[in-house]
Amino acid sequence: MISAAPSFAANAEPAAERVLTVRNLRAYYQTRYFGISREVRAVDGVSLHVDRNEIYGLAGESSCGKTTLIKTIVRAIRPPLTVVGGSVTFNFTGRDRDIYALNRRELENIRWRHLSYILQGSMNVLNPVRRVRHSFVDFAYRHMKKPMPEFLQLIESHLDRVRLESTVLDAYPHELSGGMRQRVTIALASICRPDFIIADEPTTALDVVVQKDVLTMLREVQREIRSSMILVTHDIGVHANVTDRLGIMYAGRLVEEGRTVDVIRNPRHPYTSHLVSSLPRIGDVTQKRGLEGAPPNLANPPLGCRFHPRCPLAMETCRAEHPPMVDVTPGHRVACWVTAPPKQPVAVQ
Amino acid sequence: MLTIFRDLFRYNREFRIGALLTGFIVAFATLSFVSPYPPQDVWVVPPDLPPSLTYWFGTTSRGQDVFWQLTFAIRNTMLFGFSVAILSRLFSIAIGMWSGYKGGFVDRVLMSINDTFIVIPLFPLLVLFYFVMRDKMSWPLLALAMACLGWSYDARLIRSVAMSLKSREFTQQSVFSGMRTSEIVLQEHLPYVLPIVFYTTMNNMNWSIGLEVTLSVLGFTNIDTPTIGVMIYWANQHTAMVAGIWWWFFFPVLFVVILFIGLFLLAISMNEYIDPRSRLARMGAMRE
Repeated sequence: MISAAPSFAANAEPAAERVLTVRNLRAYYQTRYFGISREVRAVDGVSLHVDRNEIYGLAGESSCGKTTLIKTIVRAIRPPLTVVGGSVTFNFTGRDRDIYALNRRELENIRWRHLSYILQGSMNVLNPVRRVRHSFVDFAYRHMKKPMPEFLQLIESHLDRVRLESTVLDAYPHELSGGMRQRVTIALASICRPDFIIADEPTTALDVVVQKDVLTMLREVQREIRSSMILVTHDIGVHANVTDRLGIMYAGRLVEEGRTVDVIRNPRHPYTSHLVSSLPRIGDVTQKRGLEGAPPNLANPPLGCRFHPRCPLAMETCRAEHPPMVDVTPGHRVACWVTAPPKQPVAVQ
Repeated sequence: MLTIFRDLFRYNREFRIGALLTGFIVAFATLSFVSPYPPQDVWVVPPDLPPSLTYWFGTTSRGQDVFWQLTFAIRNTMLFGFSVAILSRLFSIAIGMWSGYKGGFVDRVLMSINDTFIVIPLFPLLVLFYFVMRDKMSWPLLALAMACLGWSYDARLIRSVAMSLKSREFTQQSVFSGMRTSEIVLQEHLPYVLPIVFYTTMNNMNWSIGLEVTLSVLGFTNIDTPTIGVMIYWANQHTAMVAGIWWWFFFPVLFVVILFIGLFLLAISMNEYIDPRSRLARMGAMRE
């Protein structure tokens, strides 16, 4: 699966236009009950960027902060989730805007038209007691600034693009199959031809055949409207097939990032190596071994590199200090003291 | 909507029986509009006659025809129950949905008011209300008072549904797309809550009719307007039970029991309507 993959990766151009820049983003779940404060550091110092017309993949096991990162990027956060530091800058209209500096109206104006978000568990984003047509009207109509008949016509032609008949508009969500619902959701997210689509686990609940369909569709839509995209899934196989660049998250931090081919063919971080070697390959009969342990509790993360309690290569420095992100080859960054030691001593924190 | 009722009638036994019983009572109540005697008049027919072909349900000791008197009584009782149910639905929907969606401080304040209403003993309060109002006591006033007391249980029910809806993905999607709170609550959540509201409406009608009968039998309401409770009150005043005028209280009781059972069956058959999947699977709508 992996070796046949990187057909799409060729699209990434080195000096492309930045659409999204995330700088040292930190978002914590802060709760306070009965005088006891608790802080879960779900996203802790993440920096990344996404170029125009690029698909950026985000991988990592459950509870490593992928969804929290996404929510923070689109500013769909609700207490107790709080942004503690860092910035998220979008460039939609030729001008850099920090999404946390926008007021309610400006935010409403960029959503859907420029930035759309396919939620995790997106099969359930359709209201079970509203017909699909109403969901389109409720969510997208306000952003289109088009008269209603024209809007309805647009929905139909857009549904055609994801290979759905217009009869689904009159159906209730429970009358559609999982794949159809997923495609409706994708149509819903892309109807305004946004510059940026963020898809959180868009295919996780689907079987592999439907998954392939949906991903192909998502990619076609993305290519056609030339938008950028962040695709979150823990399925490395999907990343190999779809994404241009790939970021690996572990315990709220980005541990490795680079072109998808490089990261998968040549993983540098021990966590990524384990993640990639867990993939089955045709003809490979060796026993797969799991990585011992579980991701750390983010309310009380281990000192130093957050992976060190599970890392077979861990050494003294790893337990004391957090490794910085280092370029191993241009565009391929890794945070590891062992496999990617910094060239010169770096002052940490 | 019409096909839903048709299918419910065809495939759901509880709904069928409930609709027939309630329909019968409603039809009976509409006869009051063609009554030959005004409801308040006494001594219009010979008193104390047992049921016969001339006087189907007999006559009272006050010289009223039980049949025509009952048409007024059941109509007023139903209207009373209905208006209490509608008024208290307004309270319970507004408070339940607002509280459930807003959460936090708003929720805590509204729910402590709500819980206060739940623990207040209703009956002594309504008796007290009667003694305060005395001659100014009227049926609309009593309906308003009971609506103010009868919303709290259902507000809690609706709140719990609203809380669950709030955490669903489609609510997050609505927030993300920039819908205002009022829009989310009215467009996205209300359709989900409405079947539950139908269900509680029936129950609330039963509750308010029961309380009305109790209060009237004891004379704590305006006893000039005939209702089921008022009819029994007058029967007791004339010691109908001792005198053997059984038809005076038997028919009101029978009719109010029929109305009770009818409304109760309608309420439980609403369960069928609440879950659209079981509704579609069990009924014909899917087969087209």
